[in-house]
Amino acid sequence: MKPSPDPSVPEDPPGVPGFRTWRGVYLVVFGFFLLCVLLLVLFSRVFA
Amino acid sequence: MNLLDWLVLLGTIVGIAAYGTWRTRHTDSLNTYLKGNHNTGWMTIGLSVMATQASTITYLSLPGQAYENGIAFIQNYFGLPLALIIVCAVFLPIYRKLGVYTAYEYLGRRFDAKTRLLGASLFLLQRGLQAGITIYAPSIILSTVLGWRLDLTILFTGLLVIVYTVTGGSAAVNLTQRWQMAVIFGGMVTAFVVLLTKLPNDAVHIAGALGKLRAVDLTPDLKQRYTLWSGLLGGFFLSLSYFGTDQTQVQRYIGGAALREGRLGLMFNALFKIPMQFCIVMLGALLFVFYQFQPDTPVFFNQTEWRRHVDSREGPRFRAIEEKYAVAHADKQIKIRAWTAARDRGESVAETSARSAMLEAQRASEAIRKEARDTLRAVDPKAKTKDSDYVFITFILTQLPHGVIGLLIAVMFASALSSKAGELNALGTTSTIDIWRHFRPLAADDELRNVHNAKWFTALWGFFAIAFALFVSFAENLIEALNIVASIFYPALLGVFVVAFFLKKVGGSAVFWAAVASQVLVLALFFAGKFYPAHEIGYLWLNPIGCAACVAFSLMFQAIIGTPARPPAGPANPTA
Repeated sequence: MKPSPDPSVPEDPPGVPGFRTWRGVYLVVFGFFLLCVLLLVLFSRVFA
Repeated sequence: MNLLDWLVLLGTIVGIAAYGTWRTRHTDSLNTYLKGNHNTGWMTIGLSVMATQASTITYLSLPGQAYENGIAFIQNYFGLPLALIIVCAVFLPIYRKLGVYTAYEYLGRRFDAKTRLLGASLFLLQRGLQAGITIYAPSIILSTVLGWRLDLTILFTGLLVIVYTVTGGSAAVNLTQRWQMAVIFGGMVTAFVVLLTKLPNDAVHIAGALGKLRAVDLTPDLKQRYTLWSGLLGGFFLSLSYFGTDQTQVQRYIGGAALREGRLGLMFNALFKIPMQFCIVMLGALLFVFYQFQPDTPVFFNQTEWRRHVDSREGPRFRAIEEKYAVAHADKQIKIRAWTAARDRGESVAETSARSAMLEAQRASEAIRKEARDTLRAVDPKAKTKDSDYVFITFILTQLPHGVIGLLIAVMFASALSSKAGELNALGTTSTIDIWRHFRPLAADDELRNVHNAKWFTALWGFFAIAFALFVSFAENLIEALNIVASIFYPALLGVFVVAFFLKKVGGSAVFWAAVASQVLVLALFFAGKFYPAHEIGYLWLNPIGCAACVAFSLMFQAIIGTPARPPAGPANPTA
């Protein structure tokens, strides 16, 4: 189940230092999201 | 507000209007009016997306939501980063490849005209209703600052935003939002710093003890509105709908210079959304602590409405409630101080007992606030009895330094106008491209006529929003009302896009009737919850349920119809 690729449109590189592919950018965003949720769980445990 | 505030306020508003008008004075191309400028950079797109998210509604409503119910609302955003990754990886490349004006054009190419019309209609209905809610944001500001009745300010700001949008177009929206974002951020930081200087040392512990700091709720209960699970799953589907299928957002990144800029803009939002919203809800929780120590904390924060009744024939009734609340509030203050003192001494038994007394005092003062709302409703059934949207604006007007008050009010008002302009612009665009052009296909190449019609539709939706705001009453605060409306109409629409992207064998008729059936199901679930509150599920759950139902119905209907789907031929069809 995946959308059909269109070969006529090339994949742009992210152009962000340290990242060669978009997958790397997505992984960092996902990792940061996990960190945020974890910190919020800890925050609730400490203060609520 | 003093003279300095008024000068700053008027100067800022006039400056924004003049700049937007000057920069967009030659907007006569449909492409520019509807999609914005193709030279938009990634930073502008990212800030523009965030500015739409962190609009005046966010600043007005979110602190008030946290003031009343604690910071649990933050869980609503847990699905957003994941949804944005999916939008970047799947949705955005397809839209950019096709060079479409609206997201619903894609449905027409993938399925058929009726599915495109259905998609556009669901969006228009949902956004049209939301426009009737978002118009409250600038109206509340004006009502509070000028002391005018809310219905008058709704009419005034509604007409103002129609003129602003029709004369500007989406290029003007993007132009002004970038610096508005910076000023609002500055204003929020200023408000936070001012608030911190006025708080007791153990403010965070007081907020926690009074139940305002439970950010994450792990309870697996469908009835709870905000839990980790509803946030992750429901929030994911809600965000996917918003960023992937809503024309107000899609028009922003199809306006970017390249696919890369669009993606970076969305990733920018995915990174900073949760921390940013956390700061805003914390502001609300700390405002709650601040008002515990203010001797003149109002029993009802919409003072324009409250004063109208205090000065009326029913005045003695309202003054009696004020007096009762003042006594309960003073008693609660004593109980809070007793708890903090016991806590500082480290006496655990005394602390537990003082904490119980403090919570009891909190319940007593909340009961009086409820009595105030009930009395208002009894005296005037049409009165807006939800006052949490007035908490932060009251703080700004009474606690911030002069000059800053004027600037912040001006920028919040301008930001609210910009958000409304973006919203009305998207409604005008979709009405022209997906509805009007469908019935007038020969006029598609007449650029000037299309722009002319888009402006008329924009104005029409503006009047619809004003009428909705004036005649329909709702019991939720602004930010929750918006999310509830979205959760009712988005799921079926998202389901159609999911089928379009991933289920190549499903054709137009199957997905059309599946969307209708799943929309009926979501409406039935929502209204069943209203009639039988004991069985009501949190509104975020409507998103995955409705989307999954649409996908399942599509497969089922396609199996019943039996004939294989034959997508319309053409080089622009990505699944062909």
